[in-house]
Amino acid sequence: MSPAFLGQAAVGLAMAFSLSGLLLALRGHSQSARRSARLACLAALTAFGSLEWALFSDDFSLAYVAEHHSSQSPNWVKFATLWAALEGSILLWTLLQTGATALAPRFIREKSLLSPALAILFAIQIFFLAVVGLVTNPFILLANPPLEGPGPNPLLQNHWMMAIHPVLMYTGFVGLSIPFAVASSALLQHRPQDWLANAREPAIFAFAFLTLAIFAGGWWSYEVLGWGGYWAWDPVENASFIPWVLTIAFLHTLQVNQSRRLFRGLGFALILGAYATTILGTFITRSGVIASVHAFAEGPVGPLFLGFFLLVLVFGLWAWLQGTAQIQERGRLNLLSREGILVTGSGFLLLIALVVLFGTLFPLLAQIAGMREVSVGAPYYNQTTAPLFALVLLLMGLGPLLPWRKAGADFPRRAALLVGGFVLGSAGGLLAGLVWPVALTLGLLLYNLVAIGLTLAPLAKQGWPAFKINPRKVGSAVVHLGVAISAIAIVASQSYRLDIERSLAPGSSWQVAGVEITPGRADLIDEGYRQSRVLSVQTDQGGLYPAMRYYPNMAQPVATPAVQRGLGRDFYLVLQAVDPNGEWVTLRVVVMPLVSWIWVGGILIGLGSAYALVPLRSRKELIAGEVQPG
Amino acid sequence: MKLVPVVSVAVILSGIGYLVYGGLGQNLVYFVTPSEYLENPAQFQDRELRLGGLVKPETVQYDPESLELEFVLTDGASEIQVVHRGTPPELFQEGQGVVVEGKINGEVFAGKNLLVKHSENYTPPQAEAP
Repeated sequence: MSPAFLGQAAVGLAMAFSLSGLLLALRGHSQSARRSARLACLAALTAFGSLEWALFSDDFSLAYVAEHHSSQSPNWVKFATLWAALEGSILLWTLLQTGATALAPRFIREKSLLSPALAILFAIQIFFLAVVGLVTNPFILLANPPLEGPGPNPLLQNHWMMAIHPVLMYTGFVGLSIPFAVASSALLQHRPQDWLANAREPAIFAFAFLTLAIFAGGWWSYEVLGWGGYWAWDPVENASFIPWVLTIAFLHTLQVNQSRRLFRGLGFALILGAYATTILGTFITRSGVIASVHAFAEGPVGPLFLGFFLLVLVFGLWAWLQGTAQIQERGRLNLLSREGILVTGSGFLLLIALVVLFGTLFPLLAQIAGMREVSVGAPYYNQTTAPLFALVLLLMGLGPLLPWRKAGADFPRRAALLVGGFVLGSAGGLLAGLVWPVALTLGLLLYNLVAIGLTLAPLAKQGWPAFKINPRKVGSAVVHLGVAISAIAIVASQSYRLDIERSLAPGSSWQVAGVEITPGRADLIDEGYRQSRVLSVQTDQGGLYPAMRYYPNMAQPVATPAVQRGLGRDFYLVLQAVDPNGEWVTLRVVVMPLVSWIWVGGILIGLGSAYALVPLRSRKELIAGEVQPG
Repeated sequence: MKLVPVVSVAVILSGIGYLVYGGLGQNLVYFVTPSEYLENPAQFQDRELRLGGLVKPETVQYDPESLELEFVLTDGASEIQVVHRGTPPELFQEGQGVVVEGKINGEVFAGKNLLVKHSENYTPPQAEAP
């Protein structure tokens, strides 16, 4: 038995279980379909294990191993090599998709929706298994296997985060398939209300993973690429950003759908858009239609995903027409109410997704229209999304303070406090001499801190148990806090960015941004799988060691910056060039304030989402009457 | 009664439309070769461009002290003088295909970003058939 044989067989078996599961689900045998889902997941896990086996046993007879693996790599790199290139990452995505199908019944409590939802999920995973089996098969054998391979792309090897980022991202993607499936199956049965309660948990789950994936990607870019930035509005980044924003809009519209039975068509459109754009993103990034810094290989995968995207879209629109035809929504929408703010905010988020989608697809549209080759610069995205983000931050504080239907009697007092916070922050910022975007965001931060304080104040009066039985309220407050903190950190770090380059002779000092740096020797260190030129730099706050990494399969070295992190600012040092005769080195210094707070914000968003998912136990306590709801 | 929401939606949408239209107009980065540029220089004044071509041999001057890099970019038919401040990428050399991002400044192209065209796709050594 060889890894290739086992892997091939496992993919075939997973396909067989998925097909039988689809048939069983279509016939309404939900229990048997569940079993098929578990078996398909087990088979996919075996395929995953086979490829890992091939990697760890240095089996270069597999084309995938020969092209992307090196026996010299450290073990964690070997493990992550499975998703370091196209074929393997589609296999990982497929495994996670079978996992989502197997776990879906835990989320779908509405029994009559289980079979149709499983059928949709089986159809999705059949697409992925077909791609793995027929198009991007990682188990193809070479007639003449080499004795050694080049290892994965050095940029991926250079930081452990790149081993985790794709797993987080794909988990988020597949997580969205569950609410999409349960929503579609309810709408196809003309039951626009019944899916809502089943969609919330998987959607929050997916949101948390997408958030962590996006922030982790930004962190990786900052730590590894040596350009001193974390976000560039590159098509690949946009491809994950669009479903993320749509998921946020969905989670907020969902509350209106559930509580007021309004805007259910919009809720479904948003989850459809969120799921569909996870597929569209793969088309954008893998088809080579749009130039991107991420040098992915072109191939037949792009058009396949475009076709699948269109299929999902057509199916979703059909379900939408079926389900919303008979909806008669009664009740007026009062803008100054919980639902009014939620829907308006969702609308702004939808607009953000649309302008980013438009900018991302524009080069393609221009090409089709016969225009010259163009790309859309980052300022486009900043200019269009910044005002929308500001409005979202404004509504984010307001929504949780308003009751459903209409504002309460205490609203003017609360609104005055919010405005007070905003004025204090902005005016204080301007007086302190901050540029206006930072002052404005500071105002929005204070405004949101006041709002969060007012939201949680009633709970604080009742003590800790009140925090335990209100996971939604507390979780959303923590998420909002994370968003507000990230916002000020992003705006401040972009507004006050120092980026400067200079050549220095070893031993001479450079006073830059309040730090005195003195480069010393640049040593070449052989680490087996790579060589590193490490420069030791003395600063008044300790040593910094920026490096250039030379990988055997990459003509250009990878610059690894040395970062002196701080709560106030980061001092980021990149080794740009080294004179062969040792007479000078070129250093680049990037100093940005508050960067660390971006990551703090991301972690808070993840923690808040997790807390919002705290289930049943609290509800039992509630029923037992131990504590009163807040 | 219904007028207020309709008007506010219209105002917001037109605001966004304006931002998208204006933002796109200013921030489209055209990809041109020296010949394409010289055909119609007026069209590209004050615009962000990606200029692509080859580094003409024996025109490269780099001063590591001031970090000033000068070279002539050619596509065989036409050439443009490029000035770029910053460390040239490791792979930068004469005859190399490069893409420079920047703007025309008088007669020379002022580069902000210099990209070397190269393939990161590794092809495994092909074993001889037995």
